[in-house]
Amino acid sequence: MGWRVVEMSQRSLSRLQLHNLHLAQARRTVLEHIEGDFQPGAITALIGANGAGKSTLIQAIMGELRPISGKVVCTVPKERRAWLPQQLALDLTFPMSVEELVMTGSWPSHGAFTGYCAAHYRKGREIMARLGISHLAHRPLGELSGGQRQRALIGRTLMQEAELLLLDEPFANVDSDTVDILIRILRQMADDGATIIVVLHDMDHLRRLADEVLMLSGGHSRWVAPSELTHQHAPAQVVPFTLGGRHAGSA
Amino acid sequence: MLDLLNAWFISPFDYGFMRRAVVGGLALSLAAPPLGVFLVLRGMSLIGDAMAHAILPGVALGFLLAGFSLPMMSIGGVLFGLLVALLAGAVSKMGGQREDAAMASFFIISLAAGVMLISLGGSSVDLTHVLFGSILAINSTALLLIAGISTLIVVTLAVVFRALVVECLDPLFLRGQSRRSGWVHSVFLGLLVLNLTAGFQTLGTLMAVGLMMLPATSARFWSNRLEGLIGIAIVLAMVASTGGLLLSFHLDIPSGPSIILLAGVGYLFSALFGRYHSLAAKLRRKTTPLAVEQGC
Repeated sequence: MGWRVVEMSQRSLSRLQLHNLHLAQARRTVLEHIEGDFQPGAITALIGANGAGKSTLIQAIMGELRPISGKVVCTVPKERRAWLPQQLALDLTFPMSVEELVMTGSWPSHGAFTGYCAAHYRKGREIMARLGISHLAHRPLGELSGGQRQRALIGRTLMQEAELLLLDEPFANVDSDTVDILIRILRQMADDGATIIVVLHDMDHLRRLADEVLMLSGGHSRWVAPSELTHQHAPAQVVPFTLGGRHAGSA
Repeated sequence: MLDLLNAWFISPFDYGFMRRAVVGGLALSLAAPPLGVFLVLRGMSLIGDAMAHAILPGVALGFLLAGFSLPMMSIGGVLFGLLVALLAGAVSKMGGQREDAAMASFFIISLAAGVMLISLGGSSVDLTHVLFGSILAINSTALLLIAGISTLIVVTLAVVFRALVVECLDPLFLRGQSRRSGWVHSVFLGLLVLNLTAGFQTLGTLMAVGLMMLPATSARFWSNRLEGLIGIAIVLAMVASTGGLLLSFHLDIPSGPSIILLAGVGYLFSALFGRYHSLAAKLRRKTTPLAVEQGC
């Protein structure tokens, strides 16, 4: 019975659980029987071929898609959840600077009406320094490169003190310096107790970042260890994910 | 020379109606352009136009019930404008049709209904007044109404400013942060309707939207910053409304079109010679070297 008790206590610690989740898009079943348990401090890579349902699962976790059955149990308050989708709703022509974008992350503490104080501006500047974008603070968003924009958006989630972070291919169209910095920052956030889920295509990124891997294929999910995937004798069905994976250096 | 200046710029304001009109115009110029800037940034530039038509049946009903009474016509306009905004929102939620499609359908129905109602109850002179504005119509009551509405708009905008900015920039983020993020959009549409009803008295229902949109679209050629856009748009609107009134006085033309045409001249000038995205800026860009990027 001992192992069972241990498992129960771990379950109560995890801040995001998926119970027998059944998801559909436009009445077509995309995923079935999804079980999951995401620990604080762990970075989970979500992998699968195109159309395997990665974005669908993320939508469901963020509460943007109602499951057909089963449920998502998330104890992280809504304002501490951050989601960086692949196709951003972010309007890049909006006349706003990097610093202002980072500062909007203080919404959970400041809401719509309270003014920013000096301490918050200081925090914003520290975050930009950590991400190496201090020199871009007053640059309009529309003039940023893909990597700079991704850093600014991660800056906003740091400002938000996000405890649950969902990233959909954060390293696509991003330079290798940015990848290095983002991997370091994400690891720090996880060490501070954040639960992080990242959609990845690139095996190199997966090896460097992921503690756990949730693989989606054929409408089902399977938890695998990262070592299992990056090992030379990787299972055959994993190969497609490495093919066509975008490499950061080429961006 | 001084006589000429006096005759053109000072003496028109000896008349009470001109003084009231210019104060009304300046008050509107404070409230309308910021709304226009947000409309442009949200890619909803044409929604203003649609709403301007939507208030017409309400204005017409007020006119039928109480004659040429501005408060009654304004109340009617606000109510009808809000009704159309609600209906358009409901149809788009219900049927999955985009909000702009629903809005486009409702505004043309509203325009037809409004013109029909006015021609049932009044003469074509009344119709011209409602559609294109008349500075003679502004009495003290109307002026208080305009100033009151403008104040309300400016104060409300200041309060919801951050929410509005975040909603424009990244609606998904706002939805994650706030359970009731929908209120921002509703408040904004409400302010829009209020502003258009305040504007129709000087500018006419069809022209009121011009003082909102033209300064905002022109400002886009002069600034890359939100504060800059709003400031420039307000200055442009003030110049256009005062200058337009003077033109209307001297040339004996309706006030609405002359204010809007002046703002239109400002727009064309900005598009040609503005600092950003204008024709001149495109020509200039070829001669400046690329800025050297630091960092990454």
